Amino acid sequence: MKRIALLIVALAAIGSASAQVQFGEGQVSGSLETNTIYYMDDSTIGDTPEDRFGSNNYMKVDYSNGRFTAGVQVNAFLPVLQGYNDLATGRKFYLSSKYIQWQDDNYELLVGDIFDQLGNGLIFRSFEDRQLGLNNSLEGIRGAYNFGNYVQVKGMYGRPRLYTEYADSWVRAADVSVSLSDIFSMEESLFNIEGSYVNRNQSLALDNMIDFGMAGLTNPNLNMYSARANFGWRGLSLRGEYVGKGKDLAAAAQTAVAGSAILGEVGYNYNTFSIMGTFRQLDNMATRLSLYDSGIGNTLNYLPALTRQYTYMLANLNPYQVNTEGEIGGQVDACYSLRSEEDRYRYWNMHVNYSTFYTLHSYQSASGKSERLWQDFNFDVERQWNKQLKTIFLYSFQEWNPYHGYKHRTYVSNIFVGDVTYKFNRKNSLRVEAQYLWSDEYEGDWVAGLVEYSMAPKWSIFFSDMYNIDLTKTNYYSGGFSYTHNRTRVQLSYGRNRAGYVCSGGVCRYSPAYTGFNLVLTSSF
Amino acid sequence: MKRLLSLVVLMMSVMSLSAQQLPDVKIENAQGKIVSIRSVAKGKPMIISYWSITCKPCIQELNAINDALEEWREEADFEVVAISTDDARMKASAKTIASSRGWDFICLFDDKQTLKRAMNVSLTPQSFVVDANGKIVFSHSGYTPGSEQLLFDKILELKKKK
Repeated sequence: MKRIALLIVALAAIGSASAQVQFGEGQVSGSLETNTIYYMDDSTIGDTPEDRFGSNNYMKVDYSNGRFTAGVQVNAFLPVLQGYNDLATGRKFYLSSKYIQWQDDNYELLVGDIFDQLGNGLIFRSFEDRQLGLNNSLEGIRGAYNFGNYVQVKGMYGRPRLYTEYADSWVRAADVSVSLSDIFSMEESLFNIEGSYVNRNQSLALDNMIDFGMAGLTNPNLNMYSARANFGWRGLSLRGEYVGKGKDLAAAAQTAVAGSAILGEVGYNYNTFSIMGTFRQLDNMATRLSLYDSGIGNTLNYLPALTRQYTYMLANLNPYQVNTEGEIGGQVDACYSLRSEEDRYRYWNMHVNYSTFYTLHSYQSASGKSERLWQDFNFDVERQWNKQLKTIFLYSFQEWNPYHGYKHRTYVSNIFVGDVTYKFNRKNSLRVEAQYLWSDEYEGDWVAGLVEYSMAPKWSIFFSDMYNIDLTKTNYYSGGFSYTHNRTRVQLSYGRNRAGYVCSGGVCRYSPAYTGFNLVLTSSF
Repeated sequence: MKRLLSLVVLMMSVMSLSAQQLPDVKIENAQGKIVSIRSVAKGKPMIISYWSITCKPCIQELNAINDALEEWREEADFEVVAISTDDARMKASAKTIASSRGWDFICLFDDKQTLKRAMNVSLTPQSFVVDANGKIVFSHSGYTPGSEQLLFDKILELKKKK
C-alpha cells in the first residue's frame, strides 16, 4: 500500500502542474500513464498473486521546433501486472521508443521507432496498444515524398520490436498512392489507387533445433503485396483491397502455406441516414515478426474482428476472436437520426448492425463443411426527450462457436440493455444501466447494473455489479470514483474482475480474474 | 519506483507555462481526402474533440456539444472538429455514426492514430480549445454531462481577448 501512496503523490504532483515547456523557439510536450493494481485475497476466484502489487507505467516526451520533432517513451513495469507476463518478468524499466523527424511541405524523414500502417493494415501495421501490452514498432528509417496532391510515395526499413527486445528479422516496405481525382481535376469526387509491398527477412538457421525445411519453408524472405482502390462521390463510397502473401509458417499452421485476403466496403449516406457494408475474406494471413517466437506481441499485420464493439458489460462477455487461418464474412451498419426541427434537444438515434463469419476451408471443420463462427444481430434506439432526460435501449442476439468452427455447435445469447441519463442541472447528473443476458447454454443467465453520479466537470462516482445467475453464481462488483483536472484524470476503484479476453487486431490477451484496488492515472502536458 | 519518481521530478523541474502549437499532421476527412489539422478551421478558433466508437462518454460529449451548438454560434464564430481514433476495425462504423448523427462539425478520421500520438492523447474523451493562430489554450480529459460548457467558456475568453 505504501507503494500505491507514493505513486499517487508523485502522479498527483505532475497532474497539478499540467503545462507545456518552452525551450527557446521549441516546445516540450508529453504524457504520463499508470495502471496500478493492489491484489487482495479472494478465495471465490482463486489464489492471490505472490506479489500483491503490479504497476504498468508509461511516460512519453516530445520536443518540437518548427519542422523538427523528436521524442522518447520509457516504460516502467514495477512489477508488471498479472496477465502481462509475456511482456516482462517482474520489474522492467526500458526505452520503448525514440525518434527524430523532419517534416517539410512535400517530404518527411523519420529515424527511430516507426508507427505506421499500409492500407487497412492487412500486410503491415506497427502500433502500440497499452491495454494489450503490444508494441510492434519498427526501429529504422522512413521517408515519404508527395508529388503535389497527385502521387505520394513512402518507404521504410527496420527491425521490429518484440515485447521489450527486438526480433531477429528485418522488415522493408514501400507504398504508393495515386490520386486520379486530383490528376483529372474531378473536384466533386475522390478516386485513389494504391499499392504496397512488404518484405520480412529472417535467417532460417538461427536455431539448430528447428528444421523449417521439414515444414516446407526454405526461403528466408517473406513477400506480401496489397492493391487498393478508393472511390467516393457525393454520399457514395467504395473501397477495395486485395492482398497476396508468400509461403509462410503462421503460428497456427503446421506447414508453410501462402495466404491472401480480400476486403470490400460500400457505404452510402443521405442527410441523417447512413449505411455501410463490409466484406472480408482471410486465408492464412497471420504473420509473425519472428519465426522463432510466439505470443500476441509477435505480429506484423492487423487482422481485427469486423464485429460490433460494445461498451456494455454483458454484450462484451464473449467477443468474437478472428480466425486468421480462414474466415469469410462481413458486417452491415445502418444509422438513422430523426430530429425535431424546433428543438435540438429532442431526437431519436437508431442503429442496426449485423455481422457474421464462417470458416473458409473444408479442413477447418470435422464435417468438411463451412461452419458458422459468429453471428450478431443488434440494434439500439436512443431517445433524447428534452434537456434533462435521455434513454437508450439495446438488444443483441449473439451466436458464437466455442470450437472455432471445428464442431457444428454454437452458443446463443440474448442481451437486453436499458440505459437512462437524467441531468438535474448544468452540473449534476445520474446514469443508470440495467442489463440482462438470457441464454440456455454455457454459463446461462447473467444480470448486471451500474449507477453513476457525476458532478461536472471534475467528479464522478460509480458502482456496478455483474452476477451469474445459473452456473457460477458469482458476483463481480466494482465501485470507485474519478477526478479530472484539465488534462489529468485519476480513477480509483475497488472490485472483483472476471477473467476474460481483451482482443484487438486478431490477437487476444487473456486477462486473469482478480480482486483488488485499481488506480488509473493519465496526464499530458 | 525510485527511477519513476526521479523522472517525474525531472519533468516537473523544467516546467513553465506556455501555449502549445498544434502539430502539423495530415489525416483523412469525411470525404476520404487527406487534410492538415492546422488548416481545417480556416483561421477560426476551434474545439477539437477526440472520440471513438467504444468510448460512450465521447459520443455523449459530441451529442451535447451538437445540442448546444446553435446557441453557442450566436455568441462566437468557431469550429468544432471531431476526430475519430477508430482504427481499421471500426473506422467504417465511425463514418456511419458520424454522418448520421446530424453533427454540425468537421469530422476527421485518425485511423493510424498519428495525430493522437503527436498530441499525446492517451485517454479519450480528450478535448482541446485552439485559438485562431493554432495555439492550444486549454484541454480537458474525460466527460461528465455539463462539462462541455467549460470548452465554450474558453472560446468566449478567446473572443474577449481579441
